[in-house]
Amino acid sequence: MSAAPLLGLHDVSKRFGALTALKNLSFHVNEGEVVGLLGDNGAGKSTTVNLISGIHQPTSGHISVDGKQTLFTCRTDSADAGIETIYQNTALVDSLSITRNIFMGRERINGMGFLKQSEMREIAMEVLKSAVHISGIDSPDKLVGELSGGQKQAVAIARAVFFKRRVLLLDEPTSALSVRETEALLNQVLKLKAENVSSVLVTHNLYHAYQVCDRFVIMSHGTKVFDVAKADTTIGQLTEYVVLT
Amino acid sequence: MTISSTDGGAVPSRTAKSSLARQLLAKPAGSIFVVFALIQIACIVAGLLFPDDFRYLSPQNLTILMKAVPVLGCLALGAGILMIAGEFDLSIGSVYTLTAIVMAVQVGDGMSAFLAAPLAILIGVAIGMLNGVITLRFGLPSFIVTLGGLLFWRGAVLLYNGAVQVRFDPGPAFSSLFSGTFFGLNAAFIWIILLVVVFHLLLHNHWFGNHVFATGGNRAAATAIGINVKRIKIAAFAIAGGMAAFAGILATSRVGSVQPGQGTGLELQAIAACVIGGLSLNGGRGSVIGIFLGVLLIHTITNVLLLVRAPGFYLEMFIATLIVGAAILNQLIERKGSA
Repeated sequence: MSAAPLLGLHDVSKRFGALTALKNLSFHVNEGEVVGLLGDNGAGKSTTVNLISGIHQPTSGHISVDGKQTLFTCRTDSADAGIETIYQNTALVDSLSITRNIFMGRERINGMGFLKQSEMREIAMEVLKSAVHISGIDSPDKLVGELSGGQKQAVAIARAVFFKRRVLLLDEPTSALSVRETEALLNQVLKLKAENVSSVLVTHNLYHAYQVCDRFVIMSHGTKVFDVAKADTTIGQLTEYVVLT
Repeated sequence: MTISSTDGGAVPSRTAKSSLARQLLAKPAGSIFVVFALIQIACIVAGLLFPDDFRYLSPQNLTILMKAVPVLGCLALGAGILMIAGEFDLSIGSVYTLTAIVMAVQVGDGMSAFLAAPLAILIGVAIGMLNGVITLRFGLPSFIVTLGGLLFWRGAVLLYNGAVQVRFDPGPAFSSLFSGTFFGLNAAFIWIILLVVVFHLLLHNHWFGNHVFATGGNRAAATAIGINVKRIKIAAFAIAGGMAAFAGILATSRVGSVQPGQGTGLELQAIAACVIGGLSLNGGRGSVIGIFLGVLLIHTITNVLLLVRAPGFYLEMFIATLIVGAAILNQLIERKGSA
C-alpha cells in the first residue's frame, strides 16, 4: 500500500451562509479499504458526500487524491479522479434500457457519432453476468424503470465497476432495499474490495456498516468525533459514539 | 439467474405470456401501430367494397394524402424531439408561417429560392434557440415562453408584410425538388420519408439521441453523469424551429403562395400527433416511428371524414378524443414502466 491515501479530506470546513455544516473534518480512505461514514441525521454526512463528489466546494481546507491536493468544481471532476457516487435515488433514466444507462454520457460511438449498439450490449451483458449478482436482471435490454430498487443500485454499481472507478461513494444505499437486496449489495462491496476498489459507505445503519467496513469514521455536528479500525471496536461502542456525541 | 439467449428483439417479461400482440402493445408505438393497421385495413376493405362511394384507394385520394402528410410530419418530428427532451414549443405554427412569408417575399424581390429557403431555415433555427435560451436562462416552463412566441411571431408576420397573401414563384428547379414527382411519388413525401429515416437514426442510433432521451427522462441523472442538458435542450429547440421552417418550404412550394394565417393551430396538431404516437408529456419516452404513425393517423382520419362528407366539426371532435385517449394510454404504460 502506498504511503499517500487514495482519498483524503484535510481540515475541510463548509459553511452555507450562517450555517456551519462541516468544521475541520479530516479523514482518509486507503486503497482497497471500506470506510463507514456514520452519524445521526444532521451530522454532516450528506454535505461530506457532496464535497467529495464535486457538487459543493469546501469553504476552507482541501481534498486530496493520491496525496495531491485537488479541487472538484463539478461532478465530472470527481468522476475523472475515479470517484463514483451512488445515491439513494440512483442517477438512472427509467425510460432507457440498462445498456443505455450504463453507457449514458460515455457512449461507445463510431466516427460519425453513431452508437456501437451491439458492442455496448455485449459489454453490458458481460458486466451484468460477472460484476453484479443481483437476481432478476436477465437482459441488458430491460428498461431500468422495470427494475426494483436493489436492481437499480446494482446497475449503478455495474456502471461504476465497468468504468474502473477507484472509490465508490454509497450514500444511504440500503435505506430503500429489501433484506435480501441489502445482503447482495453489501456482498458486492466486499467483492469490489477484493478487486482493490475502495468504498465509503455512508449510513446510519450501524449493523450494515459493521458487516462490511474496515474502519469507521463517526461524525457529529459537522466534525469527526471518532475514527477507529474494526478490530479495535465493538458495535456497542460505535452505537455509544453515534448516540451520545 | 438465466441469461436470455436470443439476441436483439423484445425480451419477454417474467410475468407476461409473451404473445406477439402483448409484446407489440407493450412498446410505446405498438398500440398506435395496431390502431393504425386496423383503420387502414378497414379503409382498404371499404374502398374495395364500395369503390364508387368511398374513394379511399383512388389515385387522386392517395395523391392528396401524400401531399398532406409531409407538412404536419415535419412539424411533428421537430416538436417530437423537443418533447422527448422534456420541453414544448407552441410557436412552431407561427414560425412556420413567418419563415415561409420571409422566403416568399425575398424570392419575390429577386433572391434565388435556393438562398431564400436556407435563410428561412436559419430564421427558424434562430427563433427556436431564442425560445430555448429564454426558457433555460430564466427557468421558465417552455409552455409559457413559446405561448408568448406563438403570439409574438404571429404578430411579426403582419408587421413584416401585412395581412396579404404572398405569391411564391421559385422557378422550375426548386419547384420540382420540393413539389415535383419522382418515381410516381410526390417529392414532399420523399422528403418526409428521408427525414423520418434521418430522425430515427439520430434519435435512436446516435449519441445525441441518447442524450436527448436521458435529458428528458431524468434531468438530474443526466446532469449527474455529466451530460450538458442545457445544450441538448437548446439543440432540440433549434431542431423544432428549423423543422417548422422546412414544413413552410414544403407547403409553400406545393401551393405556390403563403397565407398569413395558415399556420394557426398546426402547433397543436403537431403535438397531438406526438401524443397519439406514444410520446410522454413528461419527456424521455417516444419514438420517431410513433410520431410518424401519429401524423399518418390524423391525416387518415381527416381523409376518411372528408370522403364520407362529414361536417368539419366531427374531425376536431374525433381528433380531440384520440388525443385524450392516447394520453391516457401513455400514462398507463408509463405507470407500469416505473412501478
